[in-house]
Formats: sequence, C-alpha cells, structure tokens
Amino acid sequence: MRKSLIPLALSGLAMTLTPALAGSGRTGILEQLQAEAGQAFSAERGKALFMARHKGGKPKTPSCTTCHSKSPLNAGRTRAGKRIAPMAVSKTSDRYSDPKKVAKWFRRNCRSVLGRECTPLEKGDFITFMMSR
Amino acid sequence: MTRQLEPDDKIRSEQQTGIPVWDLFIRFFHWSLLALVCLAAFTGFLGEEWWLNYHIWAGYAIGLLVVMRLVWGFVGSPFARFSSFVFSKQQTLSFVRQLLKGRPPRHTGHNPAGALMVFALLLVLSGLVLSGLVLLGGQENQGPLAGLIPYFIGAAFGEFHEFLAALLLFMIGAHIAGVIVESRLGGENLVRAMLTGKKRFSLPGHETAYAKRKAALVAIAICGTIGLAGAGAWRSLATIHPGGLPKMPENVAWKSECGDCHYAYHPSLLPGKSWQMLMAGLASHFGEDASLDEKTRREISSWLQKHAAEHWDTEAANNLRHISAEQPLRITASPWWKRRHAEVGKAVFARKSIGSRGNCIACHRDADSGRFDDQKINIPEK
Repeated sequence: MRKSLIPLALSGLAMTLTPALAGSGRTGILEQLQAEAGQAFSAERGKALFMARHKGGKPKTPSCTTCHSKSPLNAGRTRAGKRIAPMAVSKTSDRYSDPKKVAKWFRRNCRSVLGRECTPLEKGDFITFMMSR
Repeated sequence: MTRQLEPDDKIRSEQQTGIPVWDLFIRFFHWSLLALVCLAAFTGFLGEEWWLNYHIWAGYAIGLLVVMRLVWGFVGSPFARFSSFVFSKQQTLSFVRQLLKGRPPRHTGHNPAGALMVFALLLVLSGLVLSGLVLLGGQENQGPLAGLIPYFIGAAFGEFHEFLAALLLFMIGAHIAGVIVESRLGGENLVRAMLTGKKRFSLPGHETAYAKRKAALVAIAICGTIGLAGAGAWRSLATIHPGGLPKMPENVAWKSECGDCHYAYHPSLLPGKSWQMLMAGLASHFGEDASLDEKTRREISSWLQKHAAEHWDTEAANNLRHISAEQPLRITASPWWKRRHAEVGKAVFARKSIGSRGNCIACHRDADSGRFDDQKINIPEK
C-alpha cells in the first residue's frame, strides 16, 4: 500500500513542478540574455520586431508573422505546412524554457528573416513580448 | 437459322421438358465466376488503388471456385467430368472443319472447341490467381506469401498477371463468339441451357440425370480436406514476418527535429547517399535554414542512413532508391514518385488538410510505417 503511494506522490510532485521548472528555465534564459544585453527589455520593442517587415533575410520570409501568423495567440504554419503552436506563453506554457531550443530557433529564424543573428537585446525583447501576451 | 435435323444425326428432341445436362453446381460456377471476373477486371483495370481489397477478395473467391470445379471435374455429374470432354486432335480438327462449313456436329455436353476453351479458361484463371498471390506477397507485402516473396519476384509476376488478364479478356470474347455461333448454327440456345441446365437435344444414351447425392458428398469431402489443408498452410504462412519490413526503433531526435517543420519522412524513402548529402547541407535545406548542433545532426544522419531505402524491401523503398539526377534529395522529384502521383492534380495537393506534395500522411494513412499500402490511401475531400 505504502509502496504504491510512492510513484503516485512522485508523479504528483512532477506535475506540480513541470510548469514551475519551465518558468525557472525561462527565468534563467532571460537572466543570461539580460547580462549580455546590459539594458532593460521592452515588450513594445519586441512587438515591433515581431510585426515588422524586414529586409536582408530571405524574400519568402520577410517577417516573423509570415509563419507565426499576425497574432502570438494564434497557431502558425511552417512553409512545409506543419502547424506551429502559438508563440504566447499564455497559450503554449513551455515556450522559451529549453535553452537549446531557444538558441536553435533564434539562430535559424533570425537568419531567415533578418539575414543575421539576433542580438541579446532583440531576443530578450521578443521573449518579454511573448510573456506579456 | 435453325438447321434442319438430319436422320443420321440420330438426335432425339425433347422440346417440352429438355434433357438435364448442366447440373446445379456447373451453373452456379459459371454465373458466379462471371460476376467475380467482372468485379476483378473492373477493380484491376479501372478501379482506384484503394479498391484493392475488392480485387483481392474477388481473386480468392475465383480461386475457390476453380478448385471446386477441378474437384467436380473428377467426381461430378457426367457432363461436368473432364473425361466427358477430352477429345483427340483428330476429333477436334474434324469438328473445326465441319464448323467452318457451317455444319458443326452435335454434342450433348461441350463440343471439342468449347472443351478446349474450358480447359484454357481454367488454366488462365489458375494462373491469374497464383500470379496475383505472388504479386500481392512480393510487391504489396500482403497476403499469405508476404513473408516469402521478395519484391522483384512480385513485380515480375505483376507483369505476368497483367498479361494473363489481357489474355483472359480476349478469351472471354472468343468464348462469347463461340456461344453465339453454336447457338445460331445448332438451334440450341446455349445461354438458356446454362441457366436452366437443360438442352433440347442430346445424343442417344445421354439421357442422364444430374449429379447423384453420393458425388456431391464425395466432392464436399475432398473440397473440405483441401480447404482445411489450405487454411492450415495459410495460418502458418501468416506467422512469417515480411522480410522486407525490418522492425525499426523510432528515433526521438528525428521525430522532433524533422517533424517540427514538415512531415517526418520514413528513412526508407531515400537511399543512404541522399540522406548523407541532405544531412550535410542543413544550413540550406530546400531554401530553409535547418541547421542543427553537430551531435544531433550526426545522430539523425547515421540513424537515417542505417534505415535507408537499401535496407527495406517495400514497394516504396525499391522504387525511391532511384532518385532524380537533378534533385537527388527531393523524394517528390524521383521519377517513380512523379509517375505514381501523375493523376493527382495540383489542386488536390493544395487542399487545406494536405497542403503540399510532401505531406505523405495526409493521404497515406500508414506512411509512418513505410508500407504505403494501396488500401490505406484516403485522399481528403477538403
């Protein structure tokens, strides 16, 4: 009886901790970016970055919204047709919590849209905007 | 058109009742065979790929009918027995000569030309069922021979199956022509005779009844024995895992890294060389930056090459090994892929639930397994 309670308790613990861990992963990523950027992040600047039409990237992907849709609350679609979960943390709770994933997608997508890597400030602004939604 | 009866024909006429010639089984065999051959021909020549099951079941049913007819040919009623319509070469030639003169000699059962056609039809139908089984097992990895027959043998038998099918159509034409000619010249409506079982004319000594009950019991016993043996063989064959479909452990990195942006293609859909080149050029992946960290890239690349097309014996793997010279990395550019999808219009691929040529799983419900069975095709309407 007791033994069977242990996995139950552990899984209960894991369930309560998962969102918290995702949150702590996000905090760590933001702290790291903050240290590199050296100035406060702005959701407004992040929104502008997300909505703007950029030059210098690939002609078929001039904007984040090309694939992610005009609203962070809506799902997007890759150019190959796959669904992309909404970017807003309120809609997709585990967004921006895995440093490897965050690094991968910023690297690829900034190159595609802007034709260069994003700065720590831009990344921080972007995540701050998505957390405000 | 009825020919005047001549005294030396020694023909007895029983216009009122008729003489029993074709027993119940022969008539059932003839007409159900006709229906099944129509179904098999329609689904085989004209049908959609996903109707394959109807074709397969028609084939199995035809096989059963032919087996029963062969048994009945040895134990059945007098005119059902093969021994009653085996003619010598001279008899056959003489019949044909008379036929050409418009005076075919009478026969109560099959005449020599009709007998030849019966044997030829039974042979071709057996060939169709057997080559179909080999084709099904080899090319489609289905049916009782799936575990035994490699793809290339299945594909070769596919050619033979098609040849026999065309030959059968030709023979059916000749059979119908023969029936019309003999009905006209002989004054005996052969179609009606095959429906009622009775003929108006018969040669003396042929006033036989249909099959005896004993014959039916013997035939049922023989067919039952064959059926039990066949079912046993079938069950043990079904336990053999198809050789060309190895069990593949799924790779988590492949599923998420490839599958985040597009349908995660089964490794058997490209040869190892293509996978290697593709995974070496991820920074510009069909115009997209799909770069990965080196550890993940290596892991996925070696897993893809390990399970590439060369290591499978499915229809897709056998054909997609032959890549396009210009676009060796694009599955949908391979000549075979293009041929097989030639009838699917652009508008179909553009449908909302499909989206692109590369979204295999939208129509091939078993794409994840690499099998791509014909029956699993389901093209969404929207």
